[in-house]
This record gives sequence, structure tokens and C-alpha cells, in this order.
Amino acid sequence: MPRFPSEQWFGAVAAVFNGDERYQGAGGGQCNCRAGVVVEAPNDAPADVFVLTFEGAECLGGQPADAAALADVDFYMQMPLADWQEMLGDIQAHGHATADHTLNSLDLNREEGLATSVHGDQYREDLFFRYNQTLQFFFDASARVKTARA
Amino acid sequence: MAKQGAKAAAAKPAKKATQLKQAAKPKQPGKGKQPATGKQKERAQAKSSSQRVEDVSGGGTNILTAVPEPKYDWMNQSRQWGVRVKPGKKGLTLGSLNVGIYGEVPTDWPDQSRNPRGAIPRRGMPPVGYAVREKAAMWADGAADLYEEAIQRRWAPATDVPWDSIEPLADDVEHAVCQVCTELCQYANVDIEAISSWQHQMAYGYHEVKQYLATATFDAARHYEAFRKRALYNGGGLGLEGPGEVNRMIIESYGGWTETVAYLFLLRGTFTMTMLRYLERFAHNDAERYIYARVIEDKARHLAYGVEHLQYSIAHIQHQAGVLATVLFVGDRIFARDLRDPVLREALAIIFGNGIEGARATGLDTWDAMMRDFMSSLQETCAWLDIPRSVAGMPKAMSRYLPPDAADEAGADIPEAAQAAAR
Repeated sequence: MPRFPSEQWFGAVAAVFNGDERYQGAGGGQCNCRAGVVVEAPNDAPADVFVLTFEGAECLGGQPADAAALADVDFYMQMPLADWQEMLGDIQAHGHATADHTLNSLDLNREEGLATSVHGDQYREDLFFRYNQTLQFFFDASARVKTARA
Repeated sequence: MAKQGAKAAAAKPAKKATQLKQAAKPKQPGKGKQPATGKQKERAQAKSSSQRVEDVSGGGTNILTAVPEPKYDWMNQSRQWGVRVKPGKKGLTLGSLNVGIYGEVPTDWPDQSRNPRGAIPRRGMPPVGYAVREKAAMWADGAADLYEEAIQRRWAPATDVPWDSIEPLADDVEHAVCQVCTELCQYANVDIEAISSWQHQMAYGYHEVKQYLATATFDAARHYEAFRKRALYNGGGLGLEGPGEVNRMIIESYGGWTETVAYLFLLRGTFTMTMLRYLERFAHNDAERYIYARVIEDKARHLAYGVEHLQYSIAHIQHQAGVLATVLFVGDRIFARDLRDPVLREALAIIFGNGIEGARATGLDTWDAMMRDFMSSLQETCAWLDIPRSVAGMPKAMSRYLPPDAADEAGADIPEAAQAAAR
């Protein structure tokens, strides 16, 4: 059972996401971006950083990276581990994210937002919104991945 | 090789043409005609029938007209023979066609015809009268990708939206949803009207932009459809027409497409995008959530084009940032006038607060939060584009949503032209 966050977990979710054609239609479809996932660890431990790569109709998985890699991604999503886990718990419970736990809601509700970038390039940052449903579909696919708690 | 083959094939129709010409010769209807016997009639019918067959085999050519020998001179008319574009990982995309001379995108496009970029102009074509013929007046580097994305990520309100997830809502909430949908329908109409009124004025040298804008118009048509359907689904129907001063400003911005982009995509577009994000957050059912989430993606593409175009325009036209500052200075005032109308604010507050009571308790606070997010996004985008914005010169109806410590950045003086406009 993969643990969140880990390369294995992102790989397992990518396998579900890539294998379900429903995620390609109706507002989904081709997506080309590199998104960072930053999971802030409790007790001031260093954050876990992963780089999710979407190419065409596929997610190529999430590679572990260091903080410097965030300068190269189009945007990154950052939350404390507990908030990521709460989001994933909501997805597990309902099969998909509900009102307070969609990526859009999290970005609105959080004081610092969810998505941001190092470079500040608005065009690349806005890929978060252009591909929002694909990103949501990706995390929603985790409903079908048994996840071990970190 | 292909050309030689084509020339050899050209001999055949020429022979057929001669046959047709001969067949046509003796036929002079009505000249010295005698009453026909039965056998003559049969022969005439048979002949007529065979002529018809020849006529058809001649490709529908009138048998009385000589068919000239085709020369195929046009076959030598290519500016670059041998170009082959292969599909990549994303398929055969519009952007991938920009190779060789076909990838040359000039800064000016004086050609006043519908000649596709890379084709050879035909002499003597009367001008069509395109008013927007400079690259800096419409270009965005990502237009071809945005076009592909719009085609790829389309959705269909009729069948994709889970309409049956809509349950009866309290009357005040249903009225509010229908009112917001009514105003969003108007916004979509303005998108369609504003884009299409400029699109036909844009030269064909920049087909990526024209094609992308065609999808943006189609997106807006889909938005109109989806919001109208939502309004009519649950017994509420359409509400009150919005005040429409911003609508008029957008449609009547005759100063150039870039000015329209500043109003339509930057000012109105950022506001609509923020509103849609809050509507998704406070949606009452999966159908609404679905609609708002998809429209957010479509609007994000519109904003991406708008921001990229403004960036390109500022980089290539002298003093353009100052011009845009003045354009926005004027636009802010009209935007603030629309904000005086309480209808949209009240309707949104009711949606956010899940009823009139909730609107008073939390809904209006959420409206304020939405406006703060809108102003913050607008200011950030302007800062990124280097468009000077003066907080001091901004209408209170907008500046009150900026942080209390928001101050004019260096160089963000009110443009001289804007001061004159204000007077």
C-alpha cells in the first residue's frame, strides 16, 4: 500500500488516471504542464517536493525533487501534510473532492492560496486554471488507490 | 514525378473534348426541320441519349462549349515545395505547421486579401479592407496552442452536465442563481459580439490568432447555452437584465483590438473568472459545480490569450503600457458605475450565504472577499505587464478592496492623458 507522499503513490494514482477514459472527455483532455507538489512536514522538517508531469493525455507520474526544482515547474501546489491528507480523505470518502476540498476551493480558502510559482510568470501560473479539471481528475483518481498514512 | 503524371493524364480530357465538339456540330435544332417519321424519332432519341451519356462522362461540361486543354500552370506555384510536417506527441498541431517559409510571421501584413499565409497572391485581387494588419495589434505567442487546447478540451452542456443532480432550491436561492446566470449570459453575449466584431477585421497573416478567437467565440456561445439552461432548468427562469455599462464600453471600444482586449479579457475577464471561482466554491449541486468548473477552464484560456497579447503589444509598441494605463483608468470608472447596481452583489451574496438570511450573516462578507481577490488578481496582472496603476486615481468602489497599505508603485502616476480624461 503506497504512502502519501511518495513516488509509488503518485505512480499508482497515475496508473488509475491514465487508464480511465472518462478523465479525457468533457473538459478534460490533453494537458501539458509540470506541476510541483509541496507537502509541508510537521515540526519544521524539510518539505517533501514532487514534480508531476502531464504530457498529452497521460500523467507520467510524480518524481521526488528538491526545492530548487520548483523554479522550473509551471506552478506548484503547497499545503501542510495534514491539509493534503484531509483533502485525500474527502476524496476517498466521496469518490471525488467535494465543495471545500476541490483544488479551486482550497486555493480560495487558504490565506496563501494553494497554487503559486517561483518565476511569477502569469501565463505559466495560469496553467493551474487552464488544466484545473485534469489536475482535479488526477487527485480524484486517488479514491481508487489504497493509501497508507505517513 | 507527380507533375509529369498529371500532364500525361491531361491528354485524355482533350480528346474527349474533340469528340464532344464533333457530336455537337450537326445538331442545329429548328433549322429546316421536317416532320419526323417513327424511325427518325427513334434515332433522334437514341442519339440524344448517347449525347447525354457523353455529357455526363465529360464531367458535366456543356457539350456546346469547347473545353480548353488544361495547362496546369498553377502546379508550379508553390513558395516551398517538399515541406512535410509529421505529428508529434500532441498530434499534428497548428503550431507544428510553422516550418520553413510557413513559419515566417511578419510584423506587418499589407496583403488586403484572404490569401492564407505562405500562399502566392493572385494579381488584381480587390482589397477586402482589413483594418488590423500589424502583428503587435493582435499577436500572442501561445495562440496556436490555445486553439488546440480549446478544441481538445471542449465540453457539451446538453449531455455532459449532470442536470439531474439539480434538486429544488429555496426560492430566494433559485432567484439568485437565475439572476447570476442571466448576467453571465449577457457577459457571454458581449464576448461573442466583441470578438466577432474585430475578428473579421484581422488580416489573414496571423491565422493562429483568428482561429483561436473563433474558438473563444464558440466557448462564449457554450457559456451562454449553459447558463441559460441552468436558469430554465429549475423553475426560476431568467432574471433582470444587468446594468450593462461595461458591456457597452467593451463593445464600443473602437481604439483598436488591444484596447478591447484590455477591457474584455483583463478587466471584465478577471472579474468574471474570480466570480466563477467563487460560484464553483459555493455551488449547490454537481451540475452547477460542473458548469462553473468548465467555464473557469475556458475563461482561463481567454485570459491567457489576453495577457499574452497585452505583453506582446507592450513589448513592441512604444509607450503602449502608458496607453493601456489610460485605457484602464477610463475603464475603472465605468466598471465602478456598474458596481453601484446592487443586483449582482445581492444575488451573489444570497448564493454564498445560501439564502437571504445567510447573505446578511456571511454572504456579503464573501462578496467582499471575492472583490478583494478580484482586485488583487487585476493589480498583480497589471504589475506583471508593467502597466502603471495609481491606487490614488482609482475609484473608491474598487480601491476599497485593495489592502489598506496598498500604495502607488514608483512610476504609477496617473497618466497625463488619463488625468485629462478624468477632468
